[in-house]
Amino acid sequence: MKNYAIKWILQRITAAILIPLTFWFVYQCVLFSSYEYDQIRAFFFSKLNASLYFVLIIAMLYHAKLGNETIVEDYIKSHKIKKITKLFISTLVYISMIITTISLLYMVSP
Amino acid sequence: MSLNRPLSPHLSIHKKVLTAAFSIFHRFTGICLSLGAVLLSIWVILIALGPSYYSKFQVISSLSVFKVFLFFWTLTIFYHLYNGIRYLFWSYGKMMELSIVYRSGYVVIILSILSTVLIWISI
Repeated sequence: MKNYAIKWILQRITAAILIPLTFWFVYQCVLFSSYEYDQIRAFFFSKLNASLYFVLIIAMLYHAKLGNETIVEDYIKSHKIKKITKLFISTLVYISMIITTISLLYMVSP
Repeated sequence: MSLNRPLSPHLSIHKKVLTAAFSIFHRFTGICLSLGAVLLSIWVILIALGPSYYSKFQVISSLSVFKVFLFFWTLTIFYHLYNGIRYLFWSYGKMMELSIVYRSGYVVIILSILSTVLIWISI
């Protein structure tokens, strides 16, 4: 019971973090549309940009994990399929988090 | 336990109302955006791997179908974001009067469309 309360709060905290960062990233994407590879690479060389992108993606993936788990809880009846689907979601989320973290660390290092 | 009853929230037994449509659409856009978040991590690793790998992404991104995909992605982002703000207010018990729920719903639709159009005319 307590576990769900924490998840409920975390879903809202990540949502609040995502609001300003989403506007920032969508604006950056408008700029990216006219960028060459080197310019996008240079964008991620900046520690500030890499940090903001890191927080955006980690918050986004965790928010997605919580949201999808809620949907699974609501609509999947079978206990077994529910468990497998949740495991699939967690795996996908954690792999994406690791990929993003390693890529960003690699790009900010000189 | 194996009775063939609908699970909560009992979608199939309710009258279809606008507020329910907003809720279902919030979940649907959430699932779509989750896939988008996974795609973003693939995008960022292609940038890290270098120009020869990034060019593989550029082959796809130069397609006109990709522009259509991005357009709907933008619309999905803004819908989920603005509708999500409504959820944050409701979490505090604010703006829950039925008339305001309907009106803020219309505001969400209008803002989503306006924001998406603004993004695409500025590209």
